[in-house]
Amino acid sequence: MNNTVLELKNISYKYKNDLILNKINLKINSGEKIALLGKSGSGKTTLISVLNGTIKPTQGEVKLFNKSFEELDRKQKSKITTIWQDLRLIEDLSAEQNVNCGLLAENNFYFAFKNLLNISSFKKAHKYMQLCRLHNSIYDKKIRKLSGGQKQRVAIARSLIQGSNILLADEPFNNLDPKLITTIKNLLLESVDKNNTKKSPKTALVALHRLDLLNDFDKIIGIRDGKIFFNIKRNNLKKLHLDKIY
Amino acid sequence: MNKLKLNYTSLSFLPILVCIPLGYQLINNIHFGGFKLFQEFLISAFNPKIDNEIIITVIKRLNETILIGFFSWLVSIIFGAIFGIISSNIFYKIFNIPNFFYRIIRFFLTIIRSIHEVLWGILLIQIYGINFSIGIIAICIPYIAVNSKVFAEQLETIDYKSFESINQINAPKFSSLVTLIWNPIINTFKNFGLYRLECSIRSTVILGLFGIGGIGNSIFLSFQTLNFRELWTYLWSLAILIILSGLIFKKIKFNTTNKILSIFFTAVFLITILFSFSYFLYFIFNNNFENFNSVSSLFKLSSDLGLFDFLKLILETIILSLLSTGIAISLPPLVLGIFNNNTSKIFIKIFAFLLRLIPTPVILLTLLTFNYPSVSLAALTLGLHNAGITSKLLFTNLDSQDKRNYIAMKSLGISKKTSWLLGLFSQQAKSYLAYCAYRSDIIIRETAIVGVIGSVGLGWQLQESLSSFAWQEVTIVLIAYSSIAIVGELINGKIKNSLT
Repeated sequence: MNNTVLELKNISYKYKNDLILNKINLKINSGEKIALLGKSGSGKTTLISVLNGTIKPTQGEVKLFNKSFEELDRKQKSKITTIWQDLRLIEDLSAEQNVNCGLLAENNFYFAFKNLLNISSFKKAHKYMQLCRLHNSIYDKKIRKLSGGQKQRVAIARSLIQGSNILLADEPFNNLDPKLITTIKNLLLESVDKNNTKKSPKTALVALHRLDLLNDFDKIIGIRDGKIFFNIKRNNLKKLHLDKIY
Repeated sequence: MNKLKLNYTSLSFLPILVCIPLGYQLINNIHFGGFKLFQEFLISAFNPKIDNEIIITVIKRLNETILIGFFSWLVSIIFGAIFGIISSNIFYKIFNIPNFFYRIIRFFLTIIRSIHEVLWGILLIQIYGINFSIGIIAICIPYIAVNSKVFAEQLETIDYKSFESINQINAPKFSSLVTLIWNPIINTFKNFGLYRLECSIRSTVILGLFGIGGIGNSIFLSFQTLNFRELWTYLWSLAILIILSGLIFKKIKFNTTNKILSIFFTAVFLITILFSFSYFLYFIFNNNFENFNSVSSLFKLSSDLGLFDFLKLILETIILSLLSTGIAISLPPLVLGIFNNNTSKIFIKIFAFLLRLIPTPVILLTLLTFNYPSVSLAALTLGLHNAGITSKLLFTNLDSQDKRNYIAMKSLGISKKTSWLLGLFSQQAKSYLAYCAYRSDIIIRETAIVGVIGSVGLGWQLQESLSSFAWQEVTIVLIAYSSIAIVGELINGKIKNSLT
């Protein structure tokens, strides 16, 4: 459990004149499930973007499997999957085509082309969409025609189909009803592999606001004004901690 | 005294002031020699020649026009998309290529599209002689560059977050590219592609006037022999072709989720690319240059063209563009505002259709029957033709607009004209001006056509230089044309950006 998969060393990120992240140090070990708490605008999304390599920090070093992002090849980078707060689905593609996009990394160009022409196999996509409780009537619907909750689950299915071991999720339970939240939370944290069987423990960092969902996490990180205020085991979380960040 | 403030509505009408100098010159240049001819031209519109012989000619000529128009459209739309992709930001972001290459390609395409297809046609005829495929190539060269700009602009609208999201999946670069650009490309084709087919047909007609087959050629020959009844037979048949093609394409729905249709389009795409490449190679290696000694003679810097004369021609071309743009912008809202009733609207629509239908050289030659050649006459021709096009857009937008404001104003007792102006047109003025900014790019390029026919500006000089094989002058004129068009495009781009 102690081998570090992701590490941030003294990370700062400045956008224009605003310091969004301020000297962040963080180690994420394999199999750890971490909840990231903080007010809106505290730097949660930026932290996730730094962790998945989408934005380069102004200062500091990010390491995945003890290597910097520049040293990693495409296959290694694809071991991280992200569920974005704003979902970032391709609006003009259908729900199943969007989910199939999660398979682009492990397939060649011909697969991408077939996916766009709608002649690729959607079997795997449908399986994950079913797991996310998406009804088959929406499979071929364009994203822009779906409700907020349906879009959210398409984004989650796209992330799950990638079969990555490291999950970064930015408020993935938005737009979901309480019953669905439990299902989706189990799917995200329990790591269901492509054959619908359990595999190596999934490492997850999930940004959220709802405190009632913290039970399934090992660690809680509190962030405020781009700084980590606490990084503690869940059992040690006190009201005092929350008062510091909210 | 309050400071004068211009809004989009007043800016739409202000350019009509160009009619003051224009009208002055036109009145001074009037002559009565050809009024009878003009009268005959108008009467013939209602009495076109119809017999077996002409019907066979019409079918044959329309076939040629459709073939040239269709193939030039197909090739230019496909290669336009390809060049659009490689001149868009997203391509360079995905492949991590320095932006330097992006700027080079864009600049190259800007130069290519700055020269009108008629100029390319005239130039290619001089080099290769009259040839059926010259029409296709002459249209394709600038059209590929024009289409690439539209495709690139659409690709620029791809949400950066979608790019980040696909990039984060770490898919192969080509997979990421095709996934991101597929729908913007298809949508651009749906919204813009069919309009370009109409443009291709119009360009084929105009090139026909300069000797490259099709119905344009017959139109020109009928005009030269003053056979107006025959001329109108060709014009009406062209009108039927344009109306029919519009109706057919309105019926066609492109469903991207239809597997067979998707495979069919992909096959057409690939075959066109292969065919175009092989034909291009065949054309290059199997054609002897006629009347053209060597490409290097284009770049000799000596010329008999005096600097003063040359600057005068440039100035004439710029004035011609400004005057025509003024008419094209202001005439449609002015006429619609004044004659704002249902019967008038029908007549205005028919008149606008005729202005779009009749090729500019024919309009100009008709006007020359009672007016001496001048910048004003050329500007009036170009302005009227383009007013026909801008009015089509204005009609479409006004017809689809919410009329509640207009009705509310009328119910307050405000006059119909004022209600139309403030309740309807004022809401369209901004987008109308933005479209006119785009249109003025085309007007600058089109000055070449009226220049050649109407003895004004650089177009006329180009024709003269080509006729005397003065290749150095041709180069200078083309550079001047290109520079005017590029500067115009930059200015219009700024105006368009501030309006959208």
